[in-house]
Amino acid sequence: MMASVVANGNRDGQSLVLKGVDPETCMIVFKNHWAQVVKILEKHDPLRSSSALPSLSVINLTASSSGSSRFGPIPGDEASAVQNYVEHMLFLLMEEESGQAGAMGPILEFVVMENVMERLFVWSLRREFTDDMKLEQLKMYEMLVGQARQPLLHHKPILRPLMMLLSSCSSTTAPAVEAELVLLLNQLCYVLAKDPSILELFFHTSEDQGATNFLIFSLLIPFIHREGTVGQQARDALLLIMSLSAENERVAKHIAENTFFCPVLATGLSGLYSSLPTKLEVPNEEWHCLHKEDWLQMPSLIQFLNSLEFCNAVIQVAHPDIRDQLVSYIYNGFLVPVLAPALHKLTLEEVMTTTAYLDLFLRSVTEPALLQTFLSFILLHRHENVHILDTLVSRINTPFQLGIVSLALFRTLIGLYCEDVMLQLVLRYLIPCNHMMLSQRRVVRERDCYSASAAKILALTPSCCSPDRSPPPLRQLDSILFSKGGETPDNSGNTEEKKSFSEENDGSGNSCTIGSEIYLDVSYLHYLYDARLSINSCIRACQVWSAPYDGEDPPPEKYQPGVLEEPGLTSRQPQMALKKAQRPFALQAGSCVPPGTDPLPVNQLELEWDDSYDACPVQTADASAERGPPQPPPAEPPKHIQEMRRTARMLVKGSYIEENDFQDDVMVYDLIAKKDSGDVERTSKPSGSQTEETKPGSAEVPLKNGLNLTVPSPAMVDNSSNSLDAKANGQTDCNANLQNTTAVELGDDLLAQYEELIRTLDHEAGGKPVKADGEVKKPITPVEVVVVEEDEMDFASFSAETPEPEKLHSPFGTINRFRSGSATKNNSLPFTGPFISVLLSRLENMLSNSLHVNLLLTGILAQLAAYPQPLLRSFLLNTNLVFQPTVRSLYQVLAIVKNQIEELAASKKDFTELITAAQHWLMAREPSFIETDKSGGSSGSNHQEGGRILKNSPPPKPKAISLERTEVFATVLFTEFLKELAAIAQEHSILSYIPMEE
Amino acid sequence: LASSQRSDNEEQSGHGEQRASPARMPFGRKQLPPIPKNAAPITKPSPLGTPIQSANGTHASYGPFYLEYSLLAEFTLVIKQKLPGIYVQPSHKSALMWFGVIFIRHGLYQDGVFKFTVYIPDNYPDGECPKLVFDIPVFHPLVDPVSGELDVRRAFTKWRRNHNHIWQVLMYARTVFYKINTTDPLNPEAAVLYEKDVQLFKSKVVDSVKLCNSHLFDQPKIDDPYAISFSPWNPAVHEEAKERMFTYKRRPEDHHKVSQASGLSWVKPGSTQPFSKEDNPPQS
Repeated sequence: MMASVVANGNRDGQSLVLKGVDPETCMIVFKNHWAQVVKILEKHDPLRSSSALPSLSVINLTASSSGSSRFGPIPGDEASAVQNYVEHMLFLLMEEESGQAGAMGPILEFVVMENVMERLFVWSLRREFTDDMKLEQLKMYEMLVGQARQPLLHHKPILRPLMMLLSSCSSTTAPAVEAELVLLLNQLCYVLAKDPSILELFFHTSEDQGATNFLIFSLLIPFIHREGTVGQQARDALLLIMSLSAENERVAKHIAENTFFCPVLATGLSGLYSSLPTKLEVPNEEWHCLHKEDWLQMPSLIQFLNSLEFCNAVIQVAHPDIRDQLVSYIYNGFLVPVLAPALHKLTLEEVMTTTAYLDLFLRSVTEPALLQTFLSFILLHRHENVHILDTLVSRINTPFQLGIVSLALFRTLIGLYCEDVMLQLVLRYLIPCNHMMLSQRRVVRERDCYSASAAKILALTPSCCSPDRSPPPLRQLDSILFSKGGETPDNSGNTEEKKSFSEENDGSGNSCTIGSEIYLDVSYLHYLYDARLSINSCIRACQVWSAPYDGEDPPPEKYQPGVLEEPGLTSRQPQMALKKAQRPFALQAGSCVPPGTDPLPVNQLELEWDDSYDACPVQTADASAERGPPQPPPAEPPKHIQEMRRTARMLVKGSYIEENDFQDDVMVYDLIAKKDSGDVERTSKPSGSQTEETKPGSAEVPLKNGLNLTVPSPAMVDNSSNSLDAKANGQTDCNANLQNTTAVELGDDLLAQYEELIRTLDHEAGGKPVKADGEVKKPITPVEVVVVEEDEMDFASFSAETPEPEKLHSPFGTINRFRSGSATKNNSLPFTGPFISVLLSRLENMLSNSLHVNLLLTGILAQLAAYPQPLLRSFLLNTNLVFQPTVRSLYQVLAIVKNQIEELAASKKDFTELITAAQHWLMAREPSFIETDKSGGSSGSNHQEGGRILKNSPPPKPKAISLERTEVFATVLFTEFLKELAAIAQEHSILSYIPMEE
Repeated sequence: LASSQRSDNEEQSGHGEQRASPARMPFGRKQLPPIPKNAAPITKPSPLGTPIQSANGTHASYGPFYLEYSLLAEFTLVIKQKLPGIYVQPSHKSALMWFGVIFIRHGLYQDGVFKFTVYIPDNYPDGECPKLVFDIPVFHPLVDPVSGELDVRRAFTKWRRNHNHIWQVLMYARTVFYKINTTDPLNPEAAVLYEKDVQLFKSKVVDSVKLCNSHLFDQPKIDDPYAISFSPWNPAVHEEAKERMFTYKRRPEDHHKVSQASGLSWVKPGSTQPFSKEDNPPQS
């Protein structure tokens, strides 16, 4: 193999040997060698000499040559002679410096004149053109291209044979040849990138060849998704061309119009995605997203991410035409046809897995255009007529891993500081300002000058966690916090003497000279610090937003419900042509139904959410009628109802009445039966997607299994119907209970009744509760009651926790969706959106949530609270803002949780002891948590901060505590969360407009 | 007026907001800026002893934070007001003590540069109104000729939280030098002169202004790292600070660019629809 020898030789430093030799000598040597080579070449040239014949008689030494050459084998000695000469010649060529003023050096000139390279190539064809031979030639060029001291590729006599060689390699499959081919292509791209003037030549040369334009590009495409070095080199090379395209219209146009680059890339994603595991093995309950350690163990995922990263890079550097094309192929070739269905698979694990993938993808993509593609898929795409976003939001309420993973996904989403995301999730519901009393609108922009909100939030600290009142063990914990200042835990033990702290601190110079009587919560400083960082980065990020969302801009009047929707239609359509195709779809779904056909307003409202799986004429009719535009404005009533239900449930806790439930169920079944007759297919599919949430609800047994995430798909089917039931229940119940057939008024009546109900329940209700029960809790209550009242074991057990959410939530979740879809009546009812309401309802269940759910949940809420938009800030943090009675605020929910905790603490003697144990447990776990969190994502920094303090002091050995004591951990977390929120509120009060002015 | 403040102060006049937090809240070093108690004694501004928070029982421990942040909020309000010719800076020792200087640019007191200190009661905002004491008693009907304290209470008979803010006190201090009020004077001599012999009053004012300005380069009355002190123009020290002040003005755009990296928006201004920007320039 001539080239390989050559290459090796050179690497050994032969070039040094040549250095001293004068150019003329080199030239002479070169010419001599060439003369020798030509002799042999001509001898075997079928066209020129009959001398080929004699060679027939020569013993064929080339092992592989049998039958290869038409004109007889070439003697081995001659072949190797040529090889040797060529080796030397190439050295000489490589080492030659270019002549004066960039002219060709004499050797190069000779090579060009004599057409040396082409003749050599023909010679190699003349011999058997085996893979080995290709390899040789490729290496030869690789060496020349990579190491020549003068530009070679400008010269056709060199470029042409190169292109011929390349095209002859295009169909190769031998790995070695592929590797060498890609390496050479890679090198050519480098040369191209350095000297774009060659580009023209590449185009022309390939035209000469009759091959595809821009051969080197086409040759690289098949390697785009290859794993290992080859793939990487190919992608690197392609990227070079991509950045070339940004400045060269011709290249861009060629790639966009004449190559399959973009489709290959996008469909490649689909292909790679299909080889990903459809079910992830979840290491533990705590697991909520794919960290690097996770996916490094999964080659298929690595490969996918490589390709995704490549897409990201291409979009970053390529010409806008290519970028747009690629993005639309990814949307239409991967997201819609592959990812959307994957998000709606039938089993929990599959859906959970897809969700985790989606989350990972979102975290991997950095290029705005690509992120936009993913986000518009999530926000605007409808699968089975339901927005992906709505489905995802509803899954937050799912028990099991799916709920946690969904939370993690939303943590990622809101961590993007993306206006579009925040608009769809939260802000659009707040813009009309209907959630607050009219007189309160001016308060939106006010700042909390005296930390009144922070004080109110902190005042919710459960008495069992208050530093002042806590018994010794807790104090010890606090003392640990102080010990960071250099004190020993022992010192702090005497918390009574707080003086010692401040004095010591003074001595060290970091004093907290806060008055000797005051017991200072040092950890709060860290929350303040974190809050400041978080708000600052949020403010900075949001500077690119289109509006301040301060209750004036966008103007609330302009976006009253109903108005908000209009623009949606147009805007929803993604800019890309391809995407447009889909649009009609969604529109039709909403609009094709004849308007004005809604007999049952109430039902509609609630049913609307169903439109996801539901093709029922009734619903559609409503939907279309009300929402001309599919995009719903802030939807309201469902949430409202939901809240009422919840409240009612809480109040009535324990008073659950089976009969009612049963009745409701009957109703539901009826309803479903009717619906089913309408369209069976639809129901099954959509339900599948939503099933995850609901399914647990259907059967309690499954729930328990559910922990393992192993729910048999058959079960799922059943569940799906159940889920329907649950949802249907929510809707039908209302009617049933009210026994009201009139449509429009139902809604109001219902609400009124709820309100009344709640009031009465408060004091213990007589006949009314029944109604309430039926409507509100029927699904949930049974389980919950049991849970609450059972002994701790049960309480802690997952099953207790899960069933409740599922039953409750599934209906809610679904209802929420509707809101977004629902239009008419709802408009008037204040509603802060499904996302908020799902978060709040999960938060309300804090005590039964697992620790990890609560960590995510509080992390998300804290992140939301850090957003500087006055609408959001005031909604979440301003405790003085007066909301509409039907709107639930974060503060209200916190207060509910606090009361739950107080009750719990009062009823359990060892509660404080357990809390201490939980705190120690959390401290001990901090370090590892910090690590995972770093790789994982944005939130949780607060906990880290706190953790850092905690970690410094060795926690005393507390008594062991089981993670299943969720209520204990939740209590600890709740207390910390209050500090976190209060700190954020305080920082807002001093930051809010300063950075805005900058 | 070639006087120049220390770079600290210069920065403040340019963009005090920046200063405000880092200086006062060095959380990075995990320390809480001190609160009133220690600092107050220096001038014994308010006799109010125990912090209110201790009365709050359970949550007493957060009281200092509320106070600290209330004062910081006040300070940000001051900055927002952009009061002409007035510069303040909370002291290092206590957020309840602010150093300030006021430049009078017109009128009887033209060219006056008066340093002062603001003392805020530690039960703020529920206490009395803050006190404002000039380092050197300016000759003025409303300024106590001995203590240098300005009669602020006449303007804020009752300090009302949410309605009264410290910037109003500062504003008042400025107004006093432009609109002379002689009723119930703290300095009767000045009041009488102003009424009876304006010329003499004027000359006394001129003397007073001169006196104040002649002490401009004195060491600050209160020893505190953030006290405002003036020194003659010294290019080695001040040129750079000046440079920074001006570059800061130009910075907003750069600042903007940097920030774009992190946030995302495809919402067309005036719309509330996601991805409504027409050309969707994602590569912004």
